[in-house]
Amino acid sequence: MLRQILSLSKKHPSLMPLFVFIGTGATGATLYLLRLALFSPDVCWDRNNPEPWNKLGPNDQYKFYSVNVDYNKLKKERPDF
Amino acid sequence: MAHPVQLGLQDATSPVMEELITFHDQALMAMFLISFLILYALSSTLTTKLTNTNITDAQEMETIWTILPAVILILIALPSLRILYMTDEINNPSFTIKSIGHQWYWTYEYTDYGGLIFNSYMLPPLFLNPGDLRLLEVDNRVVLPIEAPVRMMITSQDVLHSWTIPTLGLKTDAVPGRLNQTVFTATRPGVYYGQCSEICGANHSFMPIVAELIPLKIFEMGPVFTL
Repeated sequence: MLRQILSLSKKHPSLMPLFVFIGTGATGATLYLLRLALFSPDVCWDRNNPEPWNKLGPNDQYKFYSVNVDYNKLKKERPDF
Repeated sequence: MAHPVQLGLQDATSPVMEELITFHDQALMAMFLISFLILYALSSTLTTKLTNTNITDAQEMETIWTILPAVILILIALPSLRILYMTDEINNPSFTIKSIGHQWYWTYEYTDYGGLIFNSYMLPPLFLNPGDLRLLEVDNRVVLPIEAPVRMMITSQDVLHSWTIPTLGLKTDAVPGRLNQTVFTATRPGVYYGQCSEICGANHSFMPIVAELIPLKIFEMGPVFTL
């Protein structure tokens, strides 16, 4: 499919923006889905680590983008287990 | 609360809602500009005398009208995602209140300092005082302090409900068997209204939410704990 895209772009260069934006969108969506599948604490792949949602740290950031809160700098006010 | 024939959003009472209103205005302005451009293009296409039936392609124009909408969409998406993540932030709330939805009333529990629990039923129209709002007033309002982050834990005891106060930018579903959390900081005192926002049976339209926001000093004196 990549070869077809390249050959089409040579014949009609004005198609390049279309391929760039659609390609960026599809790549971004796939990467975010992979991030959710591999790093989200709600997902479990490993039989030896059955409940990753119960093993969260207080200073970790799990969301994709944090606007105002710097999770590394939060005070840890609760006891260690 | 909304006034009759209201078209826009209610005035903001929390910083998050202010951001939402600003974003709404920007996105709406972009949409109006694009819509009027399309309307002008459409009307001039239909009324022009300059026609040519042999046009085959227009590569430059097509390139522009691919790149420009994509750029506009990115410029709308970035602030939108920023606000989306901002609504999720929990910024060290000083106070936690539980709100439990029933058919067809709300129960509020103030269990941080003592054990105040009460129900909030809508006032039937026959019981309204002059000046009260029909279908919006309740017998016991949720009394909350301003300028302090308040955490609301919302759940339901029977079916789905949704706890909503538009002027604070809050809408959180009350799901039976699940505890949902929302945090807000009110910036000005007043009485703010909302209505249950998830269909829950015969009286779904008749279980409103009324938040009475009072200055923090008065709230700390404890009048809310004497029922």
